[in-house]
This record gives sequence, C-alpha cells and structure tokens, in this order.
Amino acid sequence: MTLLSRKCVPFTPLDRELSKCAVSLVTAAGVHRRDQEPFNIADELGDLTFRAIGGDAALADLMVTHHHYDHHDADEDLNVVFPLEILRELADEGLIGQVAREHVGYMGYSMQLKQMYEQTAPAIAEYVDKKAKADLVVLTGG
Amino acid sequence: MRGIPTVLITVSPEVSVQMRPPRAIYPKDFRIGNSLGRPGMRDLQKRVLRDAILAVTGPARPGEVIEYSYPEYLA
Repeated sequence: MTLLSRKCVPFTPLDRELSKCAVSLVTAAGVHRRDQEPFNIADELGDLTFRAIGGDAALADLMVTHHHYDHHDADEDLNVVFPLEILRELADEGLIGQVAREHVGYMGYSMQLKQMYEQTAPAIAEYVDKKAKADLVVLTGG
Repeated sequence: MRGIPTVLITVSPEVSVQMRPPRAIYPKDFRIGNSLGRPGMRDLQKRVLRDAILAVTGPARPGEVIEYSYPEYLA
C-alpha cells in the first residue's frame, strides 16, 4: 500500500499566460556555484541549506555536491538535472516570458525531514518569491 | 506570501506521489540522475522541460504524477 501525505495538495493556479511568466528552477540535485560552499556530505543527517544561482550563470561555473545519486551524467551536462540552458532556449522561443533572475540548488537527501519541511522549504519559497520574482517554478530531483 | 505554481519533474514517481505534488511529470524509465535525459540529448531535454511547463496549463490533476513516454531515451 502506498502511504499518501495527509496534507492538502498545495495547488496554486497559474494566474497569467506562460509567455509572460518568469520561470525559476529549484533542484534537489545538489547544484551550486563552484565558488560557493559545497553541501556538507560528511553529515549523515544531510545539509539543510540552499544555494542561490543567478539566472545568467554559466553551467561551467556550476557543479554538483551530492552523495546519494550518481551524478556523473550531471557532471558532463548539468542540463540533465538543472536545465538552465534549455530554459533560456524556451524563453528565446517565447514559450515562457523569461528566465527568472534567481534559481535554487539544495541537497535533496535529508534525515531531518521536519526541519526540511518547516524551515528549508519555506525559506526557499520565500527566496523564490521575493528574490527570484518567479511566476512559476520547475522542480527537479537528482 | 502568495502561492507560486510549481511543476515537478520526477524520476522516482513512487516516492514523489506520496507527497501528493500539485503537478508532476514522470519521464517513463528515466533513471535517477537523468531527470531530463542523458548528456547532450538537447532535443530530448527540451521536450521534457517543455512538457513539464505545458503541464501547468493542462487539466489540473493535483496529487498525481503523470507519466510521459520518450522512446528516444531508451534507444
């Protein structure tokens, strides 16, 4: 039997056309800028922090720190988990309005689910709202 | 704070569905670490991301994970 969350589904309708939306990526795949502090893979409980990544970042300036999935493919082409270049193409083609100014990476393995749910996730949502000014978020895992 | 619409691209649908995400797509048989395909598969990566974004404007199926087929991934 599959156990489903008993919380309400937090469904938010899209209130504008896609072609007018700023879209932000939020990934659990452990993506961060090379000049940012890597996620702490030494802590068996996981890392509750997140990293902000500018919408104009070059993928070559980003990397993955995550020890709970095989990220060799992401190391070769980050678009497989963090499709920032693809998002730019979709903006150029007019499917979306623009690539949001900020995106987020965190390490989606945690034994501290309560803190992740009650602290990290709201902090990311706040960041995506206030700093990224995103109208729509695409979430990816590893 | 206002709500922000989200769409999830998951390659672990059996895990993701437990959280009842508001919108989610599962590219069938993609393995973990390949949410949008394999390295260099630019056209496929774009199809997956486009499908995810377009799912936001499609019929609402909150709490479900919708399966999409991309045979070229397995080819």
